[in-house]
Amino acid sequence: MKTIQTIAIIGASGNMGAAISKSLAKGNYRLLLCANDLNKVQAVADEIIKTNPAASAEAVDCSVDASWEADIIISAVPYAAEKEVAEKIREVANQKIVISIANPLNETYDGLVIAPDTSAAEELQKLLPNAKVIKAFNTTFAADFATPVIDGKQAGAFIAGNDPEALETVSELVSTAGFNPIVAGKLAVSGTLERMQLLLIQLNMKYDYNWLAGWKILHQ
Amino acid sequence: MDRLLSLATMYELFFQKFNEKVPLTPEEQEQIKAYLTPKKLRKRQYLLQEGDICKSIAFVEKGALRAYTVDENMNEHVIQFAIEGWTISDLFSYLTAEPATYNIDALEDAELVLITRSAHEEFLKNLPKYETYIRLLITGAYIALQRRLTSNLSLLAEERYTSFTETYPDIAQRVPQHMIASYMGLTPETLSRVRKKMADRR
Ligand SMILES: NC(=O)c1ccc[n+]([C@@H]2O[C@H](COP(=O)([O-])OP(=O)(O)OC[C@H]3O[C@@H](n4cnc5c(N)ncnc54)[C@H](OP(=O)(O)O)[C@@H]3O)[C@@H](O)[C@H]2O)c1
Repeated sequence: MKTIQTIAIIGASGNMGAAISKSLAKGNYRLLLCANDLNKVQAVADEIIKTNPAASAEAVDCSVDASWEADIIISAVPYAAEKEVAEKIREVANQKIVISIANPLNETYDGLVIAPDTSAAEELQKLLPNAKVIKAFNTTFAADFATPVIDGKQAGAFIAGNDPEALETVSELVSTAGFNPIVAGKLAVSGTLERMQLLLIQLNMKYDYNWLAGWKILHQ
Repeated sequence: MDRLLSLATMYELFFQKFNEKVPLTPEEQEQIKAYLTPKKLRKRQYLLQEGDICKSIAFVEKGALRAYTVDENMNEHVIQFAIEGWTISDLFSYLTAEPATYNIDALEDAELVLITRSAHEEFLKNLPKYETYIRLLITGAYIALQRRLTSNLSLLAEERYTSFTETYPDIAQRVPQHMIASYMGLTPETLSRVRKKMADRR
């Protein structure tokens, strides 16, 4: 697509938000970065422009304005903050793609804070009934964005959602970030994806992968 | 505060114009609202670039936009302007899913209400009043197109300009003269001569 898509990244100063912003800045996107602390997102925007003067990244004070301008919204805040963010952007997120990257982990990283029959993505969809919620980027660590090819192999990144056109758009985003997009299924698959990342975190701690690890599906 | 106000009025003009064409019940209004996309566009940003498929009809709540084509010599030809209360799109591309031949960009910061193709199809299936609305909308667009074609083919430069400023007084005020010249198929120099002649006569 030639027309530049605008992406609002809420929580752009965090580990994931900054990593996603930096890697999407390579694509044909205009990035609006927001979080609680404007100075921190401004630093991320400055860094993006410094490394890539052609990129379009701007710190924006208000997640409502950014989401109103955006075609795509990425919620990169901790799971616990998602309800508050969703309530703020509900009106302006109408019919837009909202990407859920959250893994609803407990404080000790050995379980989830969510019931077994749901997921952070499905909870976000309930909070934003008229948005097209898509699960993506939850099975990749923040460090993977700088190195999407690990040990000579490109990491896969799973995507789940109910709207075919939105899945296609998000697949393009995942490719731009350097990962191999794998559409896993409907939004209800998100629970599996979130639990897969819980496993990867536990393996990371057990075997000391240094947070540089990912999933790859081997197939014929 | 300012923002809360504009959020509350995000769809105000859209429904005002819709109700003028086809009156809606509050329930129908809510049903439609669920499928609309609110979108802000800043000055000089594109809503659509030639070659992409036009995914939505844009209704202007605030601001001004234009649709234009670019010829082999990179000259821009303005096809349509849109200000508050108007809609703008590449209808050909929107209805056929063929690549767009128009570019659409914002002449001023704008607040839009988008009807995407999937919303359009949803409405056509479940809301007969929308069919009336869209028929009136397309009829209006057709009439405007025909009027403009006839005017460019048969009227003198001065008559064209007078007719434009009479039909669209608000646009004539807000849009740069060279774009109005382009819209009328005149060079900026010709338009400037015509305006001077008209002013001298007064
Ligand atoms: N880290 C990973 O490798 C990884 C991998 C996959 C998925 N995830 C998921 O990604 C999400 C973010 O994780 P993270 O590690 O990047 O966390 P983080 O470093 O703590 O970043 C959180 C970001 O959210 C912002 N934020 C917090 N509350 C907010 C609110 N109410 N409104 C607006 N912004 C708010 C913070 O901005 P302020 O500092 O200004 O408050 C910060 O920019 C989590 O849901 C996590 O499960 C993380």
